[in-house]
Amino acid sequence: MTFTGLIGRICMFPLRAIITTCVRLRIHPNVLTFVGVVINAIAAHRLAHGRFVEAGVIMIAANIFDFIDGKVAIELGEVSKFGGFWDSVIDRFSDIVLFIGLIYLYAQLGRTDYVMVASFAMMFALMTSYTRARAESLISKCKVGFMERPERIVLFMIGAFTNRMAAVLWVILVLSIFTVADRIILTYRELREPREAVA
Amino acid sequence: MKRAATLPARVLWNAFFWTYERATWQYDVMVIAILAFVWLTPPGWLGDPMAHGSGPIGWVLSLLHS
Repeated sequence: MTFTGLIGRICMFPLRAIITTCVRLRIHPNVLTFVGVVINAIAAHRLAHGRFVEAGVIMIAANIFDFIDGKVAIELGEVSKFGGFWDSVIDRFSDIVLFIGLIYLYAQLGRTDYVMVASFAMMFALMTSYTRARAESLISKCKVGFMERPERIVLFMIGAFTNRMAAVLWVILVLSIFTVADRIILTYRELREPREAVA
Repeated sequence: MKRAATLPARVLWNAFFWTYERATWQYDVMVIAILAFVWLTPPGWLGDPMAHGSGPIGWVLSLLHS
């Protein structure tokens, strides 16, 4: 087993108990999704005031809701097309609100350089999701690139808990640019292939 | 790219054009590289507005110099 696989398995133990509790209480998955974004907004507020450790703890709570909503939907038999759409939209809000917290913080500190780094990181994080969604309306699958939402969230938490947010923002920025580029390249290749086959 | 590429070029291309799943050894290597960058790079080098000091690399360097 790989190192990251082992961490995933360990994290699944408490999450399994939370999922079971939500299923027993019959909490609607769309409510869980919404609670997630509200808690993320609180985390963003703490980030904006430079309270990184507090923000990290709150982010863990928020992302538990983000993670379990899909699993609860399956176990409750409440999987729906709207649920998937709602989840994607709310996830984008959760992404944006954390970046806004950091942009506010760096603006308050008068650090326009990091305001720009955080803004570009936010732009490419959003484009990562958009390129995949748009590509999958044209091709069957566009799951390439390293920097997806779970990686971003874990990096945010690492940055918050260890006070290394600047390095984390650079990693998110660079790898999000690569991910967007990967998705454009894959879509271009996939869409070009049929034309070549005809020729 | 794959036909005539040397090993380093292939490694770089595969790191850029990422197609590996989570929980693979390639994913682990990438995670370790990212964590090394985040934790070992001295915050001063990046002009970190919130973190100060020279980080573990700076600590090792100062230890070597003393």
